[in-house]
Amino acid sequence: MIQTVKKLNDPVRNNFEGYEITTIEGTKISVPLDEANKDYQAILEWVADGNTIAEAD
Amino acid sequence: MALSKIDVANMVTGATPVANGGTGQTTLAAAGLVKRPNATSLIINGDMAVAQRSTSATSITGNGVNSIDRMYWAINSIGTYTCAQESLTSGPAFEAGFANAMRIDTTSADASPASADYLYLQYNMEGQDLQLFKKGTSSAEKFTLAFWVKSNKTGQANVEFKDKDNSNRHAIGSYTISSADTWEHKIVVINADTTGAFGDDNGKSLNINWWLDSGDNFTGVAEGDAAWLANDADRANNDGALQIARNTANDWAITGIQLEVGEYSASNLPSFQHESYGDNLVRCHRYFLYTGGGSAYQHHGSGVEVSSTAAYMTTPLSCPFRASPSITANNTSGGIVIYDGNTESAVTSVGTTNYSTNTSIVNVAVNASGGGIDDGNGITVYSNANSNAGFLFDAEL
Repeated sequence: MIQTVKKLNDPVRNNFEGYEITTIEGTKISVPLDEANKDYQAILEWVADGNTIAEAD
Repeated sequence: MALSKIDVANMVTGATPVANGGTGQTTLAAAGLVKRPNATSLIINGDMAVAQRSTSATSITGNGVNSIDRMYWAINSIGTYTCAQESLTSGPAFEAGFANAMRIDTTSADASPASADYLYLQYNMEGQDLQLFKKGTSSAEKFTLAFWVKSNKTGQANVEFKDKDNSNRHAIGSYTISSADTWEHKIVVINADTTGAFGDDNGKSLNINWWLDSGDNFTGVAEGDAAWLANDADRANNDGALQIARNTANDWAITGIQLEVGEYSASNLPSFQHESYGDNLVRCHRYFLYTGGGSAYQHHGSGVEVSSTAAYMTTPLSCPFRASPSITANNTSGGIVIYDGNTESAVTSVGTTNYSTNTSIVNVAVNASGGGIDDGNGITVYSNANSNAGFLFDAEL
Protein backbone atom coordinates (compact mmCIF):
# COMPACT_ATOMS: atom_id res chain seq x y z
CA MET A 1 0.00 0.00 0.00
CA ILE A 2 1.51 3.34 -1.09
CA GLN A 3 1.98 6.05 1.53
CA THR A 4 4.10 8.54 -0.41
CA VAL A 5 5.80 8.84 -3.81
CA LYS A 6 8.68 11.10 -4.82
CA LYS A 7 10.62 11.55 -8.02
CA LEU A 8 14.15 10.15 -8.40
CA ASN A 9 16.85 11.75 -10.52
CA ASP A 10 19.77 9.91 -12.05
CA PRO A 11 22.91 10.81 -10.03
CA VAL A 12 25.00 11.61 -13.13
CA ARG A 13 22.60 13.16 -15.64
CA ASN A 14 20.38 14.63 -12.90
CA ASN A 15 17.38 13.83 -15.06
CA PHE A 16 14.06 12.60 -13.68
CA GLU A 17 14.26 8.85 -14.34
CA GLY A 18 12.16 7.09 -11.70
CA TYR A 19 10.06 7.18 -8.56
CA GLU A 20 10.52 6.08 -4.98
CA ILE A 21 7.51 4.58 -3.24
CA THR A 22 7.36 4.52 0.55
CA THR A 23 4.81 1.97 1.70
CA ILE A 24 2.71 2.24 4.85
CA GLU A 25 5.07 -0.33 6.37
CA GLY A 26 7.99 2.01 5.64
CA THR A 27 9.56 -0.03 2.84
CA LYS A 28 11.19 2.05 0.09
CA ILE A 29 10.87 0.78 -3.49
CA SER A 30 12.66 2.23 -6.52
CA VAL A 31 10.26 2.20 -9.47
CA PRO A 32 11.33 2.68 -13.12
CA LEU A 33 9.44 4.70 -15.71
CA ASP A 34 8.03 1.62 -17.41
CA GLU A 35 4.32 1.25 -18.10
CA ALA A 36 4.70 -2.54 -17.91
CA ASN A 37 5.95 -2.32 -14.31
CA LYS A 38 3.16 -3.12 -11.80
CA ASP A 39 4.41 -0.55 -9.27
CA TYR A 40 4.47 2.14 -11.95
CA GLN A 41 0.86 1.19 -12.75
CA ALA A 42 0.04 1.46 -9.03
CA ILE A 43 1.51 4.96 -8.93
CA LEU A 44 -0.71 6.01 -11.85
CA GLU A 45 -3.76 4.73 -9.96
CA TRP A 46 -2.57 6.44 -6.77
CA VAL A 47 -2.29 9.75 -8.60
CA ALA A 48 -5.70 9.22 -10.26
CA ASP A 49 -7.11 8.89 -6.74
CA GLY A 50 -6.02 12.47 -6.08
CA ASN A 51 -2.60 11.99 -4.51
CA THR A 52 0.46 14.10 -5.35
CA ILE A 53 4.01 13.05 -6.20
CA ALA A 54 6.78 14.92 -4.38
CA GLU A 55 9.72 16.43 -6.26
CA ALA A 56 13.16 14.82 -6.09
CA ASP A 57 15.49 15.69 -3.21
CA MET B 1 21.94 -52.49 -33.67
CA ALA B 2 21.17 -52.85 -37.35
CA LEU B 3 17.57 -52.99 -38.43
CA SER B 4 16.63 -55.79 -40.74
CA LYS B 5 13.81 -53.92 -42.39
CA ILE B 6 12.08 -50.58 -42.36
CA ASP B 7 8.65 -50.39 -43.93
CA VAL B 8 9.04 -47.52 -46.39
CA ALA B 9 5.36 -47.61 -47.22
CA ASN B 10 4.52 -46.52 -43.69
CA MET B 11 6.96 -43.61 -43.93
CA VAL B 12 5.25 -42.41 -47.09
CA THR B 13 1.80 -42.57 -45.51
CA GLY B 14 2.94 -40.82 -42.35
CA ALA B 15 2.41 -43.78 -40.06
CA THR B 16 5.22 -44.61 -37.66
CA PRO B 17 7.64 -47.12 -39.26
CA VAL B 18 8.28 -50.25 -37.26
CA ALA B 19 11.57 -52.11 -37.25
CA ASN B 20 11.83 -55.70 -38.40
CA GLY B 21 8.73 -55.43 -40.50
CA GLY B 22 6.37 -55.32 -37.54
CA THR B 23 2.79 -54.46 -38.18
CA GLY B 24 1.64 -53.69 -34.63
CA GLN B 25 1.58 -50.23 -33.09
CA THR B 26 2.08 -47.70 -35.84
CA THR B 27 0.58 -44.54 -34.33
CA LEU B 28 1.06 -42.62 -31.08
CA ALA B 29 -2.52 -43.34 -30.06
CA ALA B 30 -2.18 -47.04 -30.72
CA ALA B 31 0.96 -47.05 -28.60
CA GLY B 32 -0.93 -45.39 -25.76
CA LEU B 33 1.02 -42.17 -26.14
CA VAL B 34 -0.19 -38.58 -26.21
CA LYS B 35 1.31 -35.92 -28.42
CA ARG B 36 2.21 -32.90 -26.32
CA PRO B 37 1.07 -29.72 -28.04
CA ASN B 38 3.64 -27.37 -26.55
CA ALA B 39 7.36 -27.72 -26.03
CA THR B 40 7.75 -26.40 -22.48
CA SER B 41 5.43 -26.25 -19.50
CA LEU B 42 3.31 -23.11 -19.74
CA ILE B 43 3.04 -22.77 -15.96
CA ILE B 44 6.31 -21.67 -14.38
CA ASN B 45 7.21 -23.25 -11.03
CA GLY B 46 4.11 -25.44 -11.10
CA ASP B 47 5.96 -27.95 -8.92
CA MET B 48 6.44 -25.25 -6.24
CA ALA B 49 10.19 -25.91 -6.03
CA VAL B 50 11.42 -22.28 -6.14
CA ALA B 51 10.78 -19.95 -3.19
CA GLN B 52 13.21 -17.02 -3.46
CA ARG B 53 11.39 -14.68 -1.07
CA SER B 54 10.74 -17.09 1.78
CA THR B 55 9.83 -20.71 2.40
CA SER B 56 7.31 -19.57 4.99
CA ALA B 57 5.59 -16.18 5.16
CA THR B 58 3.62 -15.59 8.33
CA SER B 59 0.96 -13.06 9.41
CA ILE B 60 -0.15 -12.48 5.80
CA THR B 61 -3.23 -10.26 5.48
CA GLY B 62 -2.86 -8.68 2.04
CA ASN B 63 -2.10 -9.21 -1.64
CA GLY B 64 1.23 -10.31 -3.04
CA VAL B 65 3.71 -13.03 -3.91
CA ASN B 66 5.09 -13.77 -0.46
CA SER B 67 6.71 -17.19 -0.56
CA ILE B 68 6.70 -19.48 -3.62
CA ASP B 69 7.69 -17.80 -6.88
CA ARG B 70 4.90 -16.84 -9.33
CA MET B 71 2.16 -17.72 -6.83
CA TYR B 72 0.20 -14.56 -5.95
CA TRP B 73 -2.17 -14.50 -2.98
CA ALA B 74 -5.20 -12.24 -3.31
CA ILE B 75 -6.34 -11.53 0.24
CA ASN B 76 -8.74 -8.73 1.07
CA SER B 77 -9.79 -8.18 4.72
CA ILE B 78 -10.51 -11.85 5.28
CA GLY B 79 -8.27 -13.20 8.03
CA THR B 80 -4.59 -13.89 8.56
CA TYR B 81 -2.53 -16.65 7.01
CA THR B 82 0.74 -18.51 6.81
CA CYS B 83 1.75 -19.17 3.20
CA ALA B 84 4.50 -21.76 3.03
CA GLN B 85 6.39 -24.25 0.90
CA GLU B 86 5.39 -27.66 2.22
CA SER B 87 7.81 -30.56 1.78
CA LEU B 88 6.10 -33.75 0.67
CA THR B 89 7.43 -37.13 1.74
CA SER B 90 4.46 -39.40 1.12
CA GLY B 91 1.03 -39.56 -0.44
CA PRO B 92 -0.28 -39.57 -4.01
CA ALA B 93 1.24 -36.21 -5.04
CA PHE B 94 4.66 -37.27 -3.75
CA GLU B 95 4.30 -40.58 -5.53
CA ALA B 96 3.54 -38.63 -8.71
CA GLY B 97 6.93 -36.93 -8.40
CA PHE B 98 6.23 -33.77 -6.43
CA ALA B 99 8.47 -32.98 -3.45
CA ASN B 100 6.97 -29.56 -2.69
CA ALA B 101 3.60 -27.86 -2.45
CA MET B 102 2.18 -24.38 -1.83
CA ARG B 103 0.18 -24.43 1.41
CA ILE B 104 -1.96 -21.81 3.11
CA ASP B 105 -3.01 -22.13 6.74
CA THR B 106 -5.62 -19.92 8.38
CA THR B 107 -4.07 -18.46 11.54
CA SER B 108 -6.73 -15.84 12.32
CA ALA B 109 -10.20 -16.67 11.06
CA ASP B 110 -12.93 -14.48 9.59
CA ALA B 111 -16.11 -16.35 10.45
CA SER B 112 -18.33 -13.96 8.51
CA PRO B 113 -16.55 -12.17 5.63
CA ALA B 114 -17.93 -8.81 4.51
CA SER B 115 -19.41 -8.59 1.00
CA ALA B 116 -16.26 -7.40 -0.76
CA ASP B 117 -13.81 -9.74 1.01
CA TYR B 118 -11.99 -12.45 -0.90
CA LEU B 119 -9.30 -15.12 -0.67
CA TYR B 120 -7.80 -16.85 -3.69
CA LEU B 121 -4.54 -18.03 -5.22
CA GLN B 122 -3.72 -16.33 -8.51
CA TYR B 123 -1.34 -17.27 -11.35
CA ASN B 124 -0.67 -14.53 -13.91
CA MET B 125 0.43 -15.07 -17.52
CA GLU B 126 1.89 -12.87 -20.23
CA GLY B 127 -0.13 -12.54 -23.43
CA GLN B 128 2.80 -13.50 -25.63
CA ASP B 129 2.91 -16.88 -23.86
CA LEU B 130 -0.78 -17.53 -24.59
CA GLN B 131 -0.93 -17.05 -28.34
CA LEU B 132 -1.08 -20.83 -28.93
CA PHE B 133 -4.62 -20.83 -27.49
CA LYS B 134 -5.68 -18.67 -30.49
CA LYS B 135 -8.25 -16.95 -28.29
CA GLY B 136 -10.49 -14.56 -30.14
CA THR B 137 -10.30 -16.50 -33.40
CA SER B 138 -12.59 -19.06 -35.03
CA SER B 139 -10.00 -21.76 -34.30
CA ALA B 140 -9.66 -20.98 -30.59
CA GLU B 141 -8.51 -23.86 -28.35
CA LYS B 142 -9.84 -25.13 -25.05
CA PHE B 143 -7.76 -24.81 -21.86
CA THR B 144 -7.06 -27.84 -19.68
CA LEU B 145 -5.83 -27.05 -16.17
CA ALA B 146 -4.60 -29.92 -14.02
CA PHE B 147 -3.25 -29.84 -10.46
CA TRP B 148 -2.91 -31.77 -7.21
CA VAL B 149 -4.88 -30.37 -4.26
CA LYS B 150 -5.37 -31.20 -0.58
CA SER B 151 -7.46 -29.59 2.15
CA ASN B 152 -9.11 -30.43 5.43
CA LYS B 153 -12.31 -29.14 3.78
CA THR B 154 -14.27 -31.12 1.19
CA GLY B 155 -16.74 -30.00 -1.45
CA GLN B 156 -16.86 -27.95 -4.64
CA ALA B 157 -14.40 -25.15 -5.34
CA ASN B 158 -14.11 -22.80 -8.30
CA VAL B 159 -11.28 -21.88 -10.64
CA GLU B 160 -11.73 -18.66 -12.58
CA PHE B 161 -9.99 -17.80 -15.86
CA LYS B 162 -10.01 -14.02 -16.31
CA ASP B 163 -9.04 -12.28 -19.56
CA LYS B 164 -7.27 -9.04 -18.59
CA ASP B 165 -7.11 -7.81 -22.18
CA ASN B 166 -10.85 -7.86 -22.80
CA SER B 167 -12.71 -6.15 -19.96
CA ASN B 168 -12.10 -9.00 -17.50
CA ARG B 169 -14.15 -11.42 -19.55
CA HIS B 170 -14.08 -14.68 -17.58
CA ALA B 171 -14.94 -18.39 -17.42
CA ILE B 172 -15.51 -20.41 -14.28
CA GLY B 173 -14.60 -24.07 -13.88
CA SER B 174 -14.97 -26.19 -10.79
CA TYR B 175 -13.54 -29.22 -9.03
CA THR B 176 -14.57 -31.23 -5.99
CA ILE B 177 -12.42 -32.30 -3.07
CA SER B 178 -13.78 -35.69 -2.10
CA SER B 179 -11.64 -36.72 0.86
CA ALA B 180 -10.24 -34.50 3.61
CA ASP B 181 -6.47 -34.25 4.05
CA THR B 182 -5.80 -36.37 0.98
CA TRP B 183 -3.93 -35.36 -2.15
CA GLU B 184 -6.28 -35.58 -5.16
CA HIS B 185 -5.54 -34.90 -8.83
CA LYS B 186 -8.02 -32.56 -10.51
CA ILE B 187 -8.59 -31.62 -14.14
CA VAL B 188 -10.60 -28.55 -15.13
CA VAL B 189 -11.46 -27.85 -18.76
CA ILE B 190 -12.33 -24.31 -19.83
CA ASN B 191 -14.12 -23.68 -23.12
CA ALA B 192 -12.45 -22.18 -26.17
CA ASP B 193 -13.26 -18.50 -26.62
CA THR B 194 -13.74 -17.04 -30.09
CA THR B 195 -14.17 -13.56 -28.61
CA GLY B 196 -11.33 -11.31 -27.50
CA ALA B 197 -7.70 -11.99 -28.39
CA PHE B 198 -4.85 -11.98 -25.87
CA GLY B 199 -2.33 -9.22 -26.55
CA ASP B 200 0.90 -10.53 -28.05
CA ASP B 201 3.10 -8.70 -25.56
CA ASN B 202 4.63 -8.83 -22.07
CA GLY B 203 1.51 -7.52 -20.33
CA LYS B 204 -0.80 -9.40 -17.99
CA SER B 205 -3.36 -11.19 -20.16
CA LEU B 206 -4.71 -14.05 -18.07
CA ASN B 207 -5.40 -14.63 -14.37
CA ILE B 208 -6.07 -18.14 -13.14
CA ASN B 209 -7.80 -17.80 -9.77
CA TRP B 210 -8.35 -20.68 -7.31
CA TRP B 211 -11.14 -19.30 -5.09
CA LEU B 212 -10.94 -20.34 -1.45
CA ASP B 213 -13.44 -18.00 0.22
CA SER B 214 -15.32 -14.76 -0.37
CA GLY B 215 -18.13 -12.45 0.68
CA ASP B 216 -21.50 -12.07 -0.99
CA ASN B 217 -20.20 -9.88 -3.84
CA PHE B 218 -18.73 -12.98 -5.49
CA THR B 219 -21.69 -15.33 -5.25
CA GLY B 220 -25.19 -15.19 -6.65
CA VAL B 221 -25.05 -15.77 -10.41
CA ALA B 222 -24.72 -19.14 -12.16
CA GLU B 223 -21.17 -19.81 -13.34
CA GLY B 224 -21.81 -20.71 -16.96
CA ASP B 225 -20.15 -24.14 -16.86
CA ALA B 226 -16.70 -23.10 -18.05
CA ALA B 227 -18.13 -20.82 -20.76
CA TRP B 228 -16.59 -17.40 -21.37
CA LEU B 229 -18.93 -14.56 -20.42
CA ALA B 230 -18.76 -10.86 -19.73
CA ASN B 231 -17.29 -10.12 -16.33
CA ASP B 232 -19.67 -10.45 -13.40
CA ALA B 233 -18.05 -10.67 -9.97
CA ASP B 234 -21.16 -12.42 -8.63
CA ARG B 235 -20.26 -15.40 -10.77
CA ALA B 236 -16.63 -15.87 -9.65
CA ASN B 237 -17.15 -17.98 -6.54
CA ASN B 238 -20.80 -19.00 -6.84
CA ASP B 239 -21.22 -22.43 -5.22
CA GLY B 240 -17.59 -22.39 -4.14
CA ALA B 241 -17.95 -23.78 -0.66
CA LEU B 242 -14.51 -24.41 0.76
CA GLN B 243 -14.69 -21.35 3.07
CA ILE B 244 -11.05 -21.67 4.10
CA ALA B 245 -11.13 -18.33 5.97
CA ARG B 246 -13.82 -19.32 8.42
CA ASN B 247 -11.80 -21.40 10.91
CA THR B 248 -8.18 -21.65 12.07
CA ALA B 249 -8.37 -25.40 11.56
CA ASN B 250 -8.53 -24.85 7.79
CA ASP B 251 -5.77 -25.29 5.25
CA TRP B 252 -5.42 -25.80 1.50
CA ALA B 253 -2.44 -26.91 -0.56
CA ILE B 254 -1.64 -27.27 -4.25
CA THR B 255 1.15 -28.57 -6.47
CA GLY B 256 1.76 -29.97 -9.93
CA ILE B 257 -0.07 -27.21 -11.77
CA GLN B 258 -0.06 -27.70 -15.54
CA LEU B 259 -1.89 -25.95 -18.34
CA GLU B 260 -2.41 -27.67 -21.68
CA VAL B 261 -3.75 -26.51 -25.03
CA GLY B 262 -6.91 -28.41 -25.94
CA GLU B 263 -9.19 -30.73 -23.99
CA TYR B 264 -7.82 -33.61 -21.96
CA SER B 265 -9.17 -36.04 -19.38
CA ALA B 266 -7.55 -38.29 -16.81
CA SER B 267 -7.12 -40.95 -19.48
CA ASN B 268 -5.09 -38.88 -21.93
CA LEU B 269 -3.63 -35.92 -20.00
CA PRO B 270 0.04 -35.42 -20.97
CA SER B 271 2.37 -36.09 -18.07
CA PHE B 272 3.63 -33.12 -16.02
CA GLN B 273 6.80 -31.71 -17.55
CA HIS B 274 9.29 -31.75 -14.68
CA GLU B 275 12.17 -29.31 -15.09
CA SER B 276 15.53 -29.24 -13.40
CA TYR B 277 15.65 -26.86 -10.43
CA GLY B 278 18.10 -24.69 -12.38
CA ASP B 279 15.86 -24.34 -15.43
CA ASN B 280 12.89 -23.59 -13.17
CA LEU B 281 14.83 -20.95 -11.22
CA VAL B 282 15.98 -19.18 -14.40
CA ARG B 283 12.39 -18.98 -15.66
CA CYS B 284 11.35 -17.52 -12.29
CA HIS B 285 14.10 -14.89 -12.63
CA ARG B 286 12.17 -13.31 -15.50
CA TYR B 287 9.77 -12.07 -12.83
CA PHE B 288 11.79 -11.85 -9.62
CA LEU B 289 15.42 -11.99 -8.54
CA TYR B 290 16.76 -11.87 -4.98
CA THR B 291 20.51 -11.39 -4.82
CA GLY B 292 20.75 -12.23 -1.10
CA GLY B 293 20.04 -15.28 0.96
CA GLY B 294 23.42 -16.85 0.31
CA SER B 295 26.70 -16.29 2.08
CA ALA B 296 27.26 -13.54 4.66
CA TYR B 297 29.53 -11.67 2.20
CA GLN B 298 27.63 -12.34 -1.01
CA HIS B 299 28.32 -9.92 -3.86
CA HIS B 300 25.40 -8.22 -5.60
CA GLY B 301 27.08 -6.29 -8.38
CA SER B 302 30.02 -4.11 -9.36
CA GLY B 303 30.42 -0.71 -10.97
CA VAL B 304 31.82 2.75 -10.45
CA GLU B 305 31.45 5.63 -8.01
CA VAL B 306 29.70 8.62 -9.52
CA SER B 307 29.84 10.95 -6.49
CA SER B 308 30.86 10.86 -2.85
CA THR B 309 27.43 9.44 -1.98
CA ALA B 310 26.36 7.36 -4.99
CA ALA B 311 27.58 4.60 -7.27
CA TYR B 312 26.32 2.76 -10.31
CA MET B 313 25.99 -0.97 -9.60
CA THR B 314 25.69 -3.36 -12.53
CA THR B 315 24.18 -6.79 -11.90
CA PRO B 316 24.27 -9.59 -14.50
CA LEU B 317 21.07 -11.56 -15.07
CA SER B 318 20.47 -15.24 -15.79
CA CYS B 319 17.26 -14.33 -17.65
CA PRO B 320 16.05 -11.01 -19.09
CA PHE B 321 13.40 -9.38 -16.93
CA ARG B 322 9.83 -9.27 -18.22
CA ALA B 323 9.90 -5.48 -17.74
CA SER B 324 12.11 -2.94 -16.04
CA PRO B 325 12.10 -4.06 -12.38
CA SER B 326 11.25 -2.31 -9.15
CA ILE B 327 14.08 -2.62 -6.64
CA THR B 328 14.15 -2.83 -2.86
CA ALA B 329 17.27 -3.11 -0.72
CA ASN B 330 16.70 -5.69 1.99
CA ASN B 331 18.35 -4.78 5.29
CA THR B 332 20.12 -1.55 4.43
CA SER B 333 21.16 -0.78 8.01
CA GLY B 334 24.76 -1.61 7.36
CA GLY B 335 23.79 -4.92 5.82
CA ILE B 336 24.97 -3.98 2.33
CA VAL B 337 28.13 -1.98 1.63
CA ILE B 338 29.83 -0.26 -1.30
CA TYR B 339 33.56 -1.07 -1.29
CA ASP B 340 36.01 0.91 -3.41
CA GLY B 341 39.20 -0.86 -2.41
CA ASN B 342 39.77 1.39 0.56
CA THR B 343 36.50 2.05 2.37
CA GLU B 344 33.25 0.26 3.07
CA SER B 345 30.22 2.60 3.00
CA ALA B 346 26.79 1.36 4.01
CA VAL B 347 24.11 1.44 1.32
CA THR B 348 21.22 3.58 2.55
CA SER B 349 18.84 3.55 -0.40
CA VAL B 350 18.31 2.60 -4.04
CA GLY B 351 18.14 5.27 -6.73
CA THR B 352 17.18 5.06 -10.36
CA THR B 353 17.30 1.94 -12.54
CA ASN B 354 18.49 1.57 -16.11
CA TYR B 355 17.25 -1.56 -17.87
CA SER B 356 16.48 -2.29 -21.51
CA THR B 357 13.97 -4.98 -22.42
CA ASN B 358 15.38 -8.39 -23.39
CA THR B 359 18.89 -7.62 -22.16
CA SER B 360 20.78 -9.55 -19.51
CA ILE B 361 22.24 -6.74 -17.45
CA VAL B 362 20.70 -4.12 -15.16
CA ASN B 363 22.25 -0.94 -13.77
CA VAL B 364 21.14 0.50 -10.44
CA ALA B 365 22.12 3.69 -8.64
CA VAL B 366 22.91 2.88 -5.00
CA ASN B 367 23.30 5.57 -2.37
CA ALA B 368 25.53 5.88 0.70
CA SER B 369 24.38 9.02 2.44
CA GLY B 370 27.35 9.23 4.79
CA GLY B 371 29.80 9.80 1.96
CA GLY B 372 33.21 8.20 2.22
CA ILE B 373 33.50 6.92 -1.33
CA ASP B 374 35.68 8.68 -3.84
CA ASP B 375 34.26 9.78 -7.14
CA GLY B 376 35.51 7.71 -10.06
CA ASN B 377 36.78 4.56 -8.37
CA GLY B 378 35.63 1.09 -9.28
CA ILE B 379 33.44 -0.53 -6.65
CA THR B 380 31.84 -3.78 -5.64
CA VAL B 381 28.66 -4.08 -3.60
CA TYR B 382 28.34 -6.91 -1.11
CA SER B 383 26.64 -8.06 2.06
CA ASN B 384 28.40 -7.08 5.26
CA ALA B 385 28.37 -10.18 7.45
CA ASN B 386 24.66 -10.57 6.79
CA SER B 387 23.25 -13.45 4.77
CA ASN B 388 19.80 -11.85 4.73
CA ALA B 389 20.97 -8.68 2.97
CA GLY B 390 20.41 -8.25 -0.75
CA PHE B 391 18.45 -6.56 -3.50
CA LEU B 392 14.97 -7.61 -4.56
CA PHE B 393 14.36 -7.06 -8.29
CA ASP B 394 10.62 -7.35 -8.96
CA ALA B 395 9.26 -7.56 -12.52
CA GLU B 396 6.12 -9.54 -11.65
CA LEU B 397 2.91 -9.12 -13.56
